[in-house]
Formats: sequence, structure tokens, C-alpha cells
Amino acid sequence: MGTSLQEALHQVLAAEGVRTVALIDIASGMVVRFVGEPNPGLATAAVSLADEARAARGLLGPRPGGDLEEIAAVTDSGLHLSRVLLDKPGEGFLLFVDVDRARANIALASLRVGQFAPAVLA
Amino acid sequence: MSARSWGPADGPLGPLDQALRDCAAARFSGELHVIGAPGGMICLADGAVSAIETPWSPSPEVILLRSGRVTSADWEAAFTAATVARGRLSDELVTRGLVGAGELEAVLRTALADAMFAFAAGFVDTCRAEAGTPDFEMPLTPGAEADGLVAEALRRMEVLADFPGPPLHARARVTAAPRAAARRETTPDDGHDGALALIDGRRTIRDLAFARGRGLYVTTLEVARMRGNGLIAVPAADGQHPGDEDGDPQRKAAAVGPTAAGLPRRHKDRPAQPKRTGDADGRSLPAVLRLLRPRADGGPQAPRTVLTSNELGGM
Repeated sequence: MGTSLQEALHQVLAAEGVRTVALIDIASGMVVRFVGEPNPGLATAAVSLADEARAARGLLGPRPGGDLEEIAAVTDSGLHLSRVLLDKPGEGFLLFVDVDRARANIALASLRVGQFAPAVLA
Repeated sequence: MSARSWGPADGPLGPLDQALRDCAAARFSGELHVIGAPGGMICLADGAVSAIETPWSPSPEVILLRSGRVTSADWEAAFTAATVARGRLSDELVTRGLVGAGELEAVLRTALADAMFAFAAGFVDTCRAEAGTPDFEMPLTPGAEADGLVAEALRRMEVLADFPGPPLHARARVTAAPRAAARRETTPDDGHDGALALIDGRRTIRDLAFARGRGLYVTTLEVARMRGNGLIAVPAADGQHPGDEDGDPQRKAAAVGPTAAGLPRRHKDRPAQPKRTGDADGRSLPAVLRLLRPRADGGPQAPRTVLTSNELGGM
């Protein structure tokens, strides 16, 4: 039986070129839930991404409009998008999406992830 | 499997690791009692973990309320409605729009991982499984796989072990270092201010987690980072202040001036009771009394009636 969280992640996974989708707890670096291709390096990547999100937030500070929205990492074969979901409690969550560059446009993928993101925690 | 016990075993989780594996293999449903420090109870449904209660780790209720995600009034209204309808509180919270279904599941999963970490950070002596249908207000349905929670708990232990200094215990009291107060005035909030404001020398790491509605692991991690930055001190097991035990002259130099709370620092060579001084600051009593007389130059207002030394002597 699927859960609402799992179903929401599957909706993101259904987008063109998406290989893996995961929800990461920023405070602990824990992979709360993931769907798609199993990735043995996902747990380690989640910790790094959570650290990066915290560091970026610290760098941006509390200035107006300075909230972190997304972290993007581009490799020759893939695009890793980490969208910040600001719902409390804690430090929020990251919606991590691994996109195959050969099958998706980077800008379009980022747009689609941004559209799906609010529904993940709803 | 209706009832079974597991005796003491090696490893961070003692017999709990094996107990969870056996319960998962048998698709056990019921309560798994954890005896140790902290003790606790794990609710299992078809071998998966649906809820955990332990006094070291905040429950989902504490997390949602203390973080301000759900107000107390809304929570009580949802609780009452769920009780009257004999429904689940989690369903009621979602139906009322107080929290999203996905967000609630994420909170439940992170709370389970934190509770499992609390067991790993403590000591598990024995475990006892009793079949039945546990009644929890907010179970995770379907439950989380136990091996995933155990792996996450062990990962967290490894992360904390990488920090320098003695291991942090959930019941260790945390004290703010003097530089913490100055730092709060001069540097922007980097996320530590919330914790620093609650550190009063009496609260333990576990207390901080409950006060803020954050996980035990996240709080311990934050304390470890702040200790590394010299913002706080965590007394050693024997109660000795860590700043005294390492003989670090910089730390000792920092112990001059006001405390983190801005109060005058009490020195070791200072007596607990003030000296009885018949002659304040070396002045004679008549000289002191003269200071209390009204000043002709409009200085600070003095008492209207001042006894002179002669009047005192005549009493």
C-alpha cells in the first residue's frame, strides 16, 4: 500500500528523465523516503546535500529574499536538483531529484520539480 | 510468536537489533518492550515499526507542538474530535488541514529514526515481545522497515563519534561559554541562537531536544558543533568543568568578565558570603554616613533623614 508521501514522490518520478526522487531531512541528513532507481550512494549524498543546504543558509543569512530555494549540481551525465521544502518543523526537507541529462532539458526539469515540490508535503 | 525475550548482547543496540530482525521475519504484530536506559516500547505491525515511545526522544506530538507547527488549541480540538469519533488523531490533523499528509508522514519517520538513535545512544539490556494490537494515537501506516531504522541509528552514532572530545550523553548538562553571549550580540543567527537561549546549565541535551521540539540526534549534533566552536561546555562525567581539565590557557583567559548571562562571575577564591564590614571599603562609619547626606550641588537624591554620627552615638 502506498502512502501519500510515496505517491507524491512518484508523481515527480514520472517526469521525463527523472531517475531517482528522495525526501531528505535537512537537520539530520536522513533519507526519509525515496522512489526510483536504488542508488547506493544516496545516503552519503543526502548527508552532503543537507550540510550544503545548512551552509548555504548560514551564508545567505536572514536578509529579506535570501532564503535558499534550490541547489543544482550538473555533471556530464546528470542533473541533481535539491529543492528546499520550507515547511516546519525542524530545518525543513530537501526534495532531491536525479535527472538524466540525455533525456531531459535542465531548465525544464528544474521548472517541473518546482511545480511538483509544494505537493510533496501536502 | 506470542511472547519472547532476548537477553543481553553486544553491539550498540544490544539485543534490540536481533529482536527486530526476528520480529520482522515473523511479521510480528504487538509491543516490543525495550529494557535499559532509556527504556521504551516499540509498536510493530506485520514486523514493521509503526511507533516508538522512549523518554529520551520527543514524540511526534512534542515535535509538532513545540516547533509551533500546530498550535495547542488546534491540537486539543483535533484530539477531542478524534476521540469522539473514535478515529485516529493523525487522520484528524490532516482532515482539518493542520498538517499535510506527506509532512506528517515525514515527521513520523524522522521521529522513529530519532527514537531508534536514542536506544543506540543509550544502553539496551533486554527485550520482550508481546503479541497484541497496540493502540497508538499516531502510528506510521504502513510501518518503517526496522533494518533501515537501525542502519540510520548506527550512521548517526558514527557521525557523532567523529567529533573531537568525549562522547556526548543525552543526560549531560550543557553550559554556555562566556563568548557565547558576546557572539549573540555581534554575529547574525546561524541557527545556534535558539539552542543557546535555552542553555542555562541545568538543561540536559535531552531537555533541549524536548524544549525545542527537535530530535535528540539533531540536538546532540548541534551541541557537538557548538562545543567545537567553543560556545558551550559540557561537563565531564565526573562533574569537572572541561575548561578546567585541559588546562587550555585561552579557555581559562575566557573565564574572566561577565558570564554568558551577563551576571558578575563568581570566582573560586571569592567567599560565598560577603565580608562583614564595619568600615565599608576601609572608610570609617562617620565617613560613610557623610556620603549619605544630601548634596548641595544637586547630586543624586539622598534620604531626607540622615542620622549623624553624633546622633548615632547618642542612641
